[in-house]
Amino acid sequence: MLRVLVRRLLLSIPTLAGVLVVVFLLLYVAPGDPVMAMVGERADPETIARLRTELRLDDPLPVQFAHYAGGVLRGDLGRSYITGRPILSDLLERFPKTLELAGAAMLLAAICGITLGVLAARRPGGWTDRLSLGIAYLGTSFPVYWIGLLLILVFAVQLRWLPPSGFGRPQNLVLPALALGMRSIAFLARMTRSAMLDALGADFTRTARAKGVPERLVVVRHALRNALIPVITVLGLDFGAYLTGSILTETIFSWPGLGRYVVNAIARRDLPGVQGAVLFMSVVFVLVNLVTDMGYAKADPRVRYET
Amino acid sequence: MPQLLGVSPASSGRPWSRGGASLTRDAVLSSLIAVAAFALASGTLACRGGDPSPARRTIIDSRDNYDPRSLDPAKSTDVPTGRAVGYLFDGLTRFTPDARLVPALATRWEMSADGRTYTFHLRAGVTFHDGKPFVARQVVRSFQRALDPKERGGRGWPLYPIAGAKAFADGRAETIAGLTVRDESTLVVVLDEAFPIFPKLLAMPVAAVVPDSTPADFGEHPIGTGPWRFVEWKHDDYVKFARNEKYWGGAAASDSLVARVIAEPSTAVAEFESGNVDILYIPESDTRRWENTDERSATLASAPGLRLWYMAINTTRGPLKDVRVRQAINYAVDTRTILDQLIGGRGNVAGGVIPPALEGGDSTRRYAYDTTKAKQLLADAGFAKGIDVDLWTGQTPPFPRLAEAIQSYLAKVGVRAKIVQRESAAMREAARKGETDLALKDWFADYPDAENFLYPLLHSANKGVGGNVSFYQSPAFDKLVDAARREPDDAKRILLYHEADAYAFNEAPMLYLFFYRDLDAVQPWIRGFQLPSILNGQDMRGVSIEHNGAGR
Repeated sequence: MLRVLVRRLLLSIPTLAGVLVVVFLLLYVAPGDPVMAMVGERADPETIARLRTELRLDDPLPVQFAHYAGGVLRGDLGRSYITGRPILSDLLERFPKTLELAGAAMLLAAICGITLGVLAARRPGGWTDRLSLGIAYLGTSFPVYWIGLLLILVFAVQLRWLPPSGFGRPQNLVLPALALGMRSIAFLARMTRSAMLDALGADFTRTARAKGVPERLVVVRHALRNALIPVITVLGLDFGAYLTGSILTETIFSWPGLGRYVVNAIARRDLPGVQGAVLFMSVVFVLVNLVTDMGYAKADPRVRYET
Repeated sequence: MPQLLGVSPASSGRPWSRGGASLTRDAVLSSLIAVAAFALASGTLACRGGDPSPARRTIIDSRDNYDPRSLDPAKSTDVPTGRAVGYLFDGLTRFTPDARLVPALATRWEMSADGRTYTFHLRAGVTFHDGKPFVARQVVRSFQRALDPKERGGRGWPLYPIAGAKAFADGRAETIAGLTVRDESTLVVVLDEAFPIFPKLLAMPVAAVVPDSTPADFGEHPIGTGPWRFVEWKHDDYVKFARNEKYWGGAAASDSLVARVIAEPSTAVAEFESGNVDILYIPESDTRRWENTDERSATLASAPGLRLWYMAINTTRGPLKDVRVRQAINYAVDTRTILDQLIGGRGNVAGGVIPPALEGGDSTRRYAYDTTKAKQLLADAGFAKGIDVDLWTGQTPPFPRLAEAIQSYLAKVGVRAKIVQRESAAMREAARKGETDLALKDWFADYPDAENFLYPLLHSANKGVGGNVSFYQSPAFDKLVDAARREPDDAKRILLYHEADAYAFNEAPMLYLFFYRDLDAVQPWIRGFQLPSILNGQDMRGVSIEHNGAGR
């Protein structure tokens, strides 16, 4: 297991190197000069030329890339053109906040989604099935900003149960986690339902029932465990996506996470900010995928990673 | 559900295919029921009376929609930074909310007969938030810092009138030749040439005074002499200030002040409706709703913004070189209707670049909407079959809609404009490089003076990056503006401004759109808030929360 882990980690290095190159090049191709964004509306050519030199923007592209990649290897993502702050500390400041939101959203999604899916599969066509289908439709067809605004309107402005936005207190977490997790709840519910239906109709379930295992245990121990593999895949993918910053949710709920950081960096042409953030997100994504793969083995004893 | 539902539900997601036809029908039904439940829940609660004042003693402002760049005056190039610097620091001068210039760290100043030398007498007994005294040498150091390329501030130009400032900024001098400390409370400033409005530039955030020692993280932990001292900054969340009890102008009325960073306007509205924030910026598209409804418990604060909306016409490109074509564009667009329909009537139609709120502005000059005249002018210029141009716009509302409206008006007279929509930084860069035919823009005043519109927007010295993206070049106009910039007599200077504005107006280097009116909503429990015409004109010292005993 450990050797697999190490091998997988080593294999992810070329992926990340590729990300580094692509991000670096993309931003230089994209329109918009970082210095123009720095100086504001009114400037003089000398200031602009000076800043370009200071920021090494006039160096040949390979030199700039070597300089940047060298820094990355030493664990230095550079400093923001705009704020002058080190990128890495900016990212580390935001990541726990994104993690908190993503974790809450996934927890909510896992609990609600799997429960709904299991209940739906037990009586296909029954009211729980219809309810879970309704939620699935809402969750997948309404865009997150719409759900977010609706949640704010109902639970914050009208009912006043929760604050509309902000960060820090537990009650700040509820609405954004719900808005963000809604799509996963929907997806997981449907995924669990169909996987459970398959499992409940399988031979091993019939055998379990035949030897007199109580129905509750048949569902939980035999069917659900077998249905979990696709569910874990979805969980892992969604968690990876949420961890890399959920731009719309963070914007609507004023959540000071990675998503807002990236949007600001892009808007201000803060090249080191964008590069650093994307690289950081790629690392997170790779790690989450790795953990997900390891999760398969845990859920299903038949999955073994050979070295 | 009044305010937030301006966004359409966009229920266009691909139907969930797994499950068959009958389940699809059920799903649609279930979804509808759920939506109806939401709507009912909020609908029954829609009517509320006035809110009791909150128990807090902190003023909470929600107008910042992105994180400040820094809290360091040397890096004050954006609105949230400029506003925060205005709370934390003082300059030698400052602005009142109605954009008058008043003394701050300088109690008075004299100008020499040739207008080149200013003697500033500094306020005695002022201390920084860390208790250290304020003295003249700190002013010199602050200016050097703002100009120092190593600070990467990017905004040195307000100090360039000082003799030797440009040389220092370019690394050609060790000190700024024009700055002399006569004694601890007297500073002598020599300018390159007479520039009577110079004291106004010293009220800009970039000219604020910082202490002797500014560590590398000064922008994160600022220390100034201002009415508020720094407490904490949670990035993308809020900046918190506490009142400076020893402020030379008297301590603020409230204990503390929080500038929240809320990116999404609808969220800011929700926070305001919930009574969690005290001051709200009202987007253009919401203007009518706020002005015409009385159910809202807020009071509206309005001020003539020193902000011009215009469409720069690049006077060096193709048919646009011809003044008749540029005039035709001005006659072709019904700016009054656009202002009423798209900007909620928030402003005045522009007949020049100087806002009517400033001396020299003229609200009578106008290109009246006249398509016949526009077509005639185009025909006279030899473009009877019309012309093709690019119309560049940023993506921030309401610019794209504005561009579409202008496009359709122009089409009626044969000016076929192709809209090029870019993210604002990219659009601005293209305009500065002269790559745009037409560029839809706005311009905020940095300091309240007609010069701040005439000179950057239209003087040939500022073509491109300086702000003149019309690439307008007129010796006669330049001469008038140069004369105005040197003229010590206020009345004469204002006449020159007026003349210069009228001159450029006839040459139509832009489509004159409108002067904006700022509009904020203020909670009824807030006392003493006057919306400033200029960014840093409201230091919040006189603002307080009235507690009526019914607090929550």
